[in-house]
Amino acid sequence: MFLQTLITGIAIGGIYALMAVGYSLVFSILNFSNFAHGVIIMLGAYIGFYACEWFHAPVLVAMVGAMVGSAVIAVTVEKLAYRPLRLKRAVPLYFMISAMGAAIFLENLVYVTVGAHFFSYPAFLQQSVQIGQSNLGLLDIGALSLSAVAITCLTLFLSKAKLGIAIRAAARDMTVLGTLGVNIDSLLMVVFSIAGLFAGMAGVFLGIKYLVYPTMGWITNKAYIAAVIGGIGSLPGSVVGGITLGIVESFVSVYLTTALRDVFSFTFLIVLLLFRPSGLFGKTLDEKV
Amino acid sequence: MKHKYQWGMALFLLISLIVATGCQQGSESKTIKIGHAVSLTGDNSVFGQSEATGLKIGVEELNKKGGILGKQIEVVTVDTRNDPAETVNAVRRLVDQEKVVAVLGPSSSGPAMSATPIVTAGKIPLIATAASNPYVTADKQGGIHKYVFRVCFIDTYQGLVDAEFAYDRLKARKVAVLYDVGSDYSQWLAKYFEDAFIKKGGVVVAKEAYRTGELDFRAPLGKIKGSNPDLLFLPLTQKDAALAAKQSRDLGIKAILMGGDNWASPDILTLAGPAIEGAYFSNSASLDDPRVKDWITAHEKQFSGPLVRNALLVNDALSWLADAMKRANSTDGDKIVAALEATKDLPVMTTDKFTIDPKTHDPLNRPAYFSKIQGGKFVFVEEYAAK
Repeated sequence: MFLQTLITGIAIGGIYALMAVGYSLVFSILNFSNFAHGVIIMLGAYIGFYACEWFHAPVLVAMVGAMVGSAVIAVTVEKLAYRPLRLKRAVPLYFMISAMGAAIFLENLVYVTVGAHFFSYPAFLQQSVQIGQSNLGLLDIGALSLSAVAITCLTLFLSKAKLGIAIRAAARDMTVLGTLGVNIDSLLMVVFSIAGLFAGMAGVFLGIKYLVYPTMGWITNKAYIAAVIGGIGSLPGSVVGGITLGIVESFVSVYLTTALRDVFSFTFLIVLLLFRPSGLFGKTLDEKV
Repeated sequence: MKHKYQWGMALFLLISLIVATGCQQGSESKTIKIGHAVSLTGDNSVFGQSEATGLKIGVEELNKKGGILGKQIEVVTVDTRNDPAETVNAVRRLVDQEKVVAVLGPSSSGPAMSATPIVTAGKIPLIATAASNPYVTADKQGGIHKYVFRVCFIDTYQGLVDAEFAYDRLKARKVAVLYDVGSDYSQWLAKYFEDAFIKKGGVVVAKEAYRTGELDFRAPLGKIKGSNPDLLFLPLTQKDAALAAKQSRDLGIKAILMGGDNWASPDILTLAGPAIEGAYFSNSASLDDPRVKDWITAHEKQFSGPLVRNALLVNDALSWLADAMKRANSTDGDKIVAALEATKDLPVMTTDKFTIDPKTHDPLNRPAYFSKIQGGKFVFVEEYAAK
């Protein structure tokens, strides 16, 4: 029972982590919580689903399609909903409100175009491995490994590549970076593309593991909490926060009570924030990403 | 440059608004307005959309025959999203702005309960379709909600029938229950099932919960697996039941799966796939009923969406309301209520003798219909009345 709970917790936490990365990345640069991220994940799940359904694409190909599609949507949202605010030097609160507006708009757009039906992906990696009394799903292993690879690539990119270093510089001070001649618009395009790529990947995993439907993006509330636990703005923080939340949730459900699971998770969050207001990995503002 | 974006965005939003509102227009004529509060979007949309198309055919037929009291019927449909808060706004619009004479729906218990104070204040009768929680029509002090009625069976009955079927027909002795604490339907049906099953002599080895909107039930299911039940009762929406079925098979739970009338949406078959094979569920009306065969063919000719039992139940409600208005010879709320209460042996779509209990506002003698999921289809098992 203990092992099964731990496995379940890590598997759920891995998905939270993948979603939390997108939040953290945008937060570290623009200093606001991008609540449209969940909707981009949802749209990614739909793109992947239709790639499988209409073009009979293999799931991995569909995932690439979903990642590219989500990146395009994320960049478009940035251009339409955030860029005008950025040019006006609006405070982060307005970005957040604009993000919520974009989220509600896109969600309802899906309602009127695709409809409210639920869809499920074709069966993919449904087998599971038996370890003692516990079952470990192949899909969970796949999702965890692929997430780990993607997050490692992103970390390397941010620390080694020239563009990555520019992104880190933007996280420190975007205005100064602008005056030094870096094109902020194209830099943010890269940032939102990366967030979109991660959203697409998370969306397809969510779709395969669960279902595809218009409000599925709200599950990212959990990812947001994961990001806050880890220290929003910190990449390793998102990963640790996600997995911690997953494990806490499954242990609370199994050993205490399932009905009060969220009460415990949120109490955990509040207590943690009381002692570490910037989360587990949160550092001073200029060391984000 | 920056103005270009602003104008572009503003124009885009404006056009979307116009497109969205383009199809809605009111008409002022000599009609009787009936409100239909139904979940066109949200988790329950398969039920809601089928209910809306079913009612459309019913009203067309009724209008061809001359309508009610010499007037044509006009249906005002509002979306509840199957959300109690959204329902309050939707029903308030029907009562305050649209001035409907009666409301049909909502189809589920939580929304129906949240609509109750509004129709009561407006003195407008409401007939819930598939809302099976006892407290939809009864209040907790032992009285009844004067303006609220329903056409389906109630969950105390459904829980009892499910427990008897599980014990007697499926020979289950140890059951586990997974339910949604955020849903009145799920919470109470779980309780009634549990009570009845224990009374039969069975054992409830695990009872686990989750909160509405959750997607991953592997933690509670892991606990259920440890208790090794013969049968896993899932009084959930078809979406959650499909997820729970998949995840319990992933974890290696081999128990028989069983659910309530919320499973009766055909998309459960595609959503759950092979994981749900061999499962059973109870329903409040059956599409296999020979009485409704022709009507179903007519529905399929006009609409392509999946048809579920709500389409039948809403027509029961419509004929009942039409009959009550004729007998009351009025569209006054209180007079309609009196006539609705006095209904006895009325032939409606799913039964020839629809009788209402004036003490509870629930129909009498409604049996349950059990289906099995076999070969990716719903297979009718039997009509089953509790002993």
